[in-house]
Amino acid sequence: MPRVKSFTQSMAWLHSWAGLILGWLLFAIFLTGTLTIFDKEINWWSQPELRDQQVTQQEAARAAWNWLAREHGDAEVWNISLPTERAPVMSVSIGDNRRSGGKVLDPHSEALVPVRESAGGNFLYHFHYTLHMPRTFGIWVVGLAAMAMLTALVTGIVIHKRIFKDFFTFRPVKGRRAWLDGHNACAVLMLPFHLMITYTGLVIFVMIYMPAAVDALYDGNREAMFREARPLAEKGAEPRQGNERRDGGRQGNERGPRMVEQAPAAEMLPLESFIGKAESVFGPGMVASMTISHPGRANAVVSLRPLLGSRIALTKGVEVRFDAVSGKLLQAPLEPRASALTQQVMTGLHFAQFGGYPMRWLYFLCSGVSCAMIATGLVLFAMKQRLRTAEVNRGHTFLRVVDVLNIAVVAGLVLGCIGMLWANRLLPVELAGRAGWEESLFFGIWGVSLLHAGWRQPGAAWREQLGVAALLCLGLPLLGFLTQDAGAMDTTRLSLALVAVLIGLMLAWTAWRVGRPAATNGVPHEPTQHLAGAG
Amino acid sequence: MIRRLRDNPAWQARLDIGLRVAAATIGGYFFTYACTAAMARLLPLARFDAVMVSSLLAFAVYTAVIVWVFAAASAWRAWLGIALALPLAIIGFWPGLFGSGA
Amino acid sequence: MLAAFTAGMTLAYTGMLALCLGLERHYRQIWRETPPVWLRRGLRVGGWMVLVMAFHACNLAWGAAMGAVGWFGLVSLTGFVLLLLLPYAPRLAVWLPVGGGLLWIGVLVTM
Repeated sequence: MPRVKSFTQSMAWLHSWAGLILGWLLFAIFLTGTLTIFDKEINWWSQPELRDQQVTQQEAARAAWNWLAREHGDAEVWNISLPTERAPVMSVSIGDNRRSGGKVLDPHSEALVPVRESAGGNFLYHFHYTLHMPRTFGIWVVGLAAMAMLTALVTGIVIHKRIFKDFFTFRPVKGRRAWLDGHNACAVLMLPFHLMITYTGLVIFVMIYMPAAVDALYDGNREAMFREARPLAEKGAEPRQGNERRDGGRQGNERGPRMVEQAPAAEMLPLESFIGKAESVFGPGMVASMTISHPGRANAVVSLRPLLGSRIALTKGVEVRFDAVSGKLLQAPLEPRASALTQQVMTGLHFAQFGGYPMRWLYFLCSGVSCAMIATGLVLFAMKQRLRTAEVNRGHTFLRVVDVLNIAVVAGLVLGCIGMLWANRLLPVELAGRAGWEESLFFGIWGVSLLHAGWRQPGAAWREQLGVAALLCLGLPLLGFLTQDAGAMDTTRLSLALVAVLIGLMLAWTAWRVGRPAATNGVPHEPTQHLAGAG
Repeated sequence: MIRRLRDNPAWQARLDIGLRVAAATIGGYFFTYACTAAMARLLPLARFDAVMVSSLLAFAVYTAVIVWVFAAASAWRAWLGIALALPLAIIGFWPGLFGSGA
Repeated sequence: MLAAFTAGMTLAYTGMLALCLGLERHYRQIWRETPPVWLRRGLRVGGWMVLVMAFHACNLAWGAAMGAVGWFGLVSLTGFVLLLLLPYAPRLAVWLPVGGGLLWIGVLVTM
């Protein structure tokens, strides 16, 4: 290693090492993130008991109301999650915690539908930003990886000298040139996407990662900061609390224990009538769920929440509230101020809930290319390392570690993901802790992939693991037909099976290409005008 | 012993890399932390907006610092640059020095 | 929306194709002859103009803010498809916009 390196050499060194060390994590984050774009669709596929009942939200709300009034007439809070375009299923729950324990309700028969427990898309979503570690720790690790990604992107631009000249260049000949061209193509053409998705990913947790400004100006009190930002919202909430237990001293009427003195019984307006009112705020088809507190009482309040995605900005906790008896608007969402909106837009750009299915597909394909960029980068590092090791006859162990981890991370994770979908269909439906078993199988398959990679030669391991993954993907529609009645095959599930087949074909092609010995070994003597590997 | 380490080029290279990695990750974080605080203090915006804007820019600052640390002529010089965090922290956290303070 | 999206996709690809053919190397790759300077310049200017039209189509499909996001995505992805097609099927790469146009007409008719 020369003592004084040129700027480009330093940047190449930083690019390859930041890219390698955190590239393994980054691939896992990006692959699960890519799949998370279709999390609701994966969830839908994972629960073949669910059928699209083709009811309007109004009909669904009516059915939910009937059922809740019958079964839980005295409950303090009702929650109804309405059928939407992406998840045409309705679930109901009672009490504060509307996120967990929702029961699926058939809007026609007004009876509960037994649904299998499954990890599905939700697992991938949580894995994407916590890596299945304790939440805060996982978020920090993912943040570190994202910073490495940002660094690798910037240094990548610096070391890619012919960024415009080679803009459309791809020479799929044997050896490293093809991999380098592929890596550059994935990187350069998608550069806006890579930068956007990485930066906005960091912005989601900006107050966790970089609380400096809050510490300096608000003594670290984030709540005080956000309170200051919306003085209007506070005032808007005032009338709601006015007619309730002011003197009770407890804030937040949903949270308290049941009141000693209940408000008198009163006839509520039909719940379905509030959907149209909320749509005039959020836009048609944009209502996701509703919560009714003190149902059937004079102080009943209906809160309706929007789907994320009527606009780019991602706003959590937005809702519109109505008096359920008089139908009077109690609180409408307020437009945030410009700086807060900027953060919400950046977050929304990452969550990709806007723009309907065309936009969802764009995101899916773009992040698929991101995965390919990271994977080709990892392969390139191994190729360069192989040349160096052969040259100086040192570092064989390190090369082995790189090879094994590359295979286990790239091929192994793909195997784990598709394996989890198989587990969803093959595990007995009534198995206790079924979602947990699916997750265990995911990690189990990943572990087996690591062992296999350590046992076989790199070329063979790549070929075999990618081959098995390809078979599993190609066989997914078959499995679907074997294990479930044909009635569950709707557009969403069929599309998922079709995409699995397409991915399977791509994996099979890759297995065939990678398996050829010349492709993994690289060509020993080739012009080295490009700097993109280990410096 | 120390002299032998100092004269050994392989060890020097390793020391250089170790110092730079530390400067980029840990030093870079603290520099960014101080810089974000100072920026929030100095931006001529309402308090909330200043916090938001400087926080959103923090990751760009951090990336620039990492790149700079590895581009610097020597690891020691990189650490000297990181030491600029100190005056920035004073601007950011000395109450009453700039603006009305928290 | 789907019609505007299809139009945006086709225009984005066409624009990238024109920009690509405006580079001497890729023009030769397909037509096996050196392009005259006026043609190269024309292709580049035309390419950018078509990309501007694609931007307009994206705005029609998604509205202003989302349209810009969609435009970036479409330009990147169609450019990537073009890049993958060039070494394997260069003639197909050139004639693909015709298919895109037909698809757009199909969507217009059926919607």
